[in-house]
Amino acid sequence: MSHLHIPDGVLPWWLVLTGWICTAVLLTICIYRVRRMELARKIPLIGIVSALMVICMTLPIIPFAYHVNLSVVAGIILGPALAFISIFIVDLIIAMFGHGGITVVGLNTIVIGAEAVFGYYLFQTFKFLMGSYSVGWSSGIAAVLSLILSTSILVGLLYAAHVNPDLIIHREKEPYVESAIQDTESNVNNGVKIGVFAKTALTLLFFGWILEGVITGLVIKYVSGIRPDLIEHDTT
Amino acid sequence: MDVALIDYYANHGKSFLHSAGGPGKMLFSALVITSIVITDEFYLMLAIYLALVSMAVLTRLSVARILSIAAYPAIFALLFVIAAWEGSLLNSGVIMLKALTAALTMVILIATTPYPDVFKTLKPVLPGIIHDGLYLTYRSLFVLLEMTDELVKGLKVRGGLSKRKYLRNIVNFSSGIGLVLLKGLDITEKYYGVMKVRGYTGKIASDKNGRRFSTDDIAVVAFGILIFSVSLGIKLSGNIGQSGLYALVIAAIILITSIAYIAKVGH
Repeated sequence: MSHLHIPDGVLPWWLVLTGWICTAVLLTICIYRVRRMELARKIPLIGIVSALMVICMTLPIIPFAYHVNLSVVAGIILGPALAFISIFIVDLIIAMFGHGGITVVGLNTIVIGAEAVFGYYLFQTFKFLMGSYSVGWSSGIAAVLSLILSTSILVGLLYAAHVNPDLIIHREKEPYVESAIQDTESNVNNGVKIGVFAKTALTLLFFGWILEGVITGLVIKYVSGIRPDLIEHDTT
Repeated sequence: MDVALIDYYANHGKSFLHSAGGPGKMLFSALVITSIVITDEFYLMLAIYLALVSMAVLTRLSVARILSIAAYPAIFALLFVIAAWEGSLLNSGVIMLKALTAALTMVILIATTPYPDVFKTLKPVLPGIIHDGLYLTYRSLFVLLEMTDELVKGLKVRGGLSKRKYLRNIVNFSSGIGLVLLKGLDITEKYYGVMKVRGYTGKIASDKNGRRFSTDDIAVVAFGILIFSVSLGIKLSGNIGQSGLYALVIAAIILITSIAYIAKVGH
């Protein structure tokens, strides 16, 4: 659950815009990289993996409202480029269902896309180091490390956002940069107390990472046992 | 997530919102989302939310269901509010309302617009692979939801999901996800075969006979422009508190009128 469940209009416009621009650039690169693939066969695969992610992302696990992403599963099965495209689709659909702001789709794609891309490369590395008999462990550890990384990106984004309702709502006449500098100096960090937020997020999400790692490991182990071609494929 | 219910609403509703086309409603949603982004005042946010509840009433669908579906992001907004707590209830209320209002906007859009219309409207701005991926993802959702439902029932019946046996539950559930994924892939591959036979080469054709802009479209877009104009006007005027209260009173009157209208004409 490392994506941004932040409502529209809370993050500063420059961050939202940067998110969209970076996502557009990354999507262009991904589409360029998959241009030689047989897309007619890959698009239905994207559809089914994305649909599974949408279902998992919208099923909160009681009591702490965590949900699994399966982004690393997507990365391993689809490969980094197709997985990034798939994640953009997932983010767009869940935003349409009101699950996170529509304006933060760009940033969400970067955060979860990083999970999928790093998950894929970490999985390949661990599989190389541990041997192909340990796909379960390789994918599980890759999932946990990718989630730690994506959560770090998330915390970094919020730090960069300088989100403070009080500043955004009531100090709009002050020059933004000036007020940001003042608050950074006073160690308030202009909003969401980054230390408090990071501690809360890391504590709450720790169990989630382990859970997602276990589920990812078991899913990939199951899939590789029946359809090893899905794991051993040539990916872009 | 009630995907099946939302899809049913979108295809079987009979309100003016259902009659309006995808582009008009997308424009309406864009205007409302922009209003949410530029609005920082509690009463005005509440006014926009009430205006959207009026829209939900006018859809002639179950307002309680629509509001409950759109309330899901409130859980996460609450976490954000706690993390960003500065001692002001009004500021926290603005964040909560932003989440609820944006979600309600999107839910009204998809509960009154069949998904092919939504994706067709997005087609000019999206690359082909993403557009087609959206179609197939949405279509696969229904297949997977049914399979997931059957899986959970099957696991429960066979004791695969038992109380206090968390580890075993996780193992069984994960294998279940793997099974659903593989079954889904089989179905997708068959589906791909059918598409190939019917001439699919990597691009899904869409209906090119676009419909004309109707009075329903005009009404929806006009409502969006009204919300946006009020938000922008109040933002630029600087007289935020007083104007926000006026907007709230007007929105409340619109809501009461909508409820009375629907009560009179019936569902």
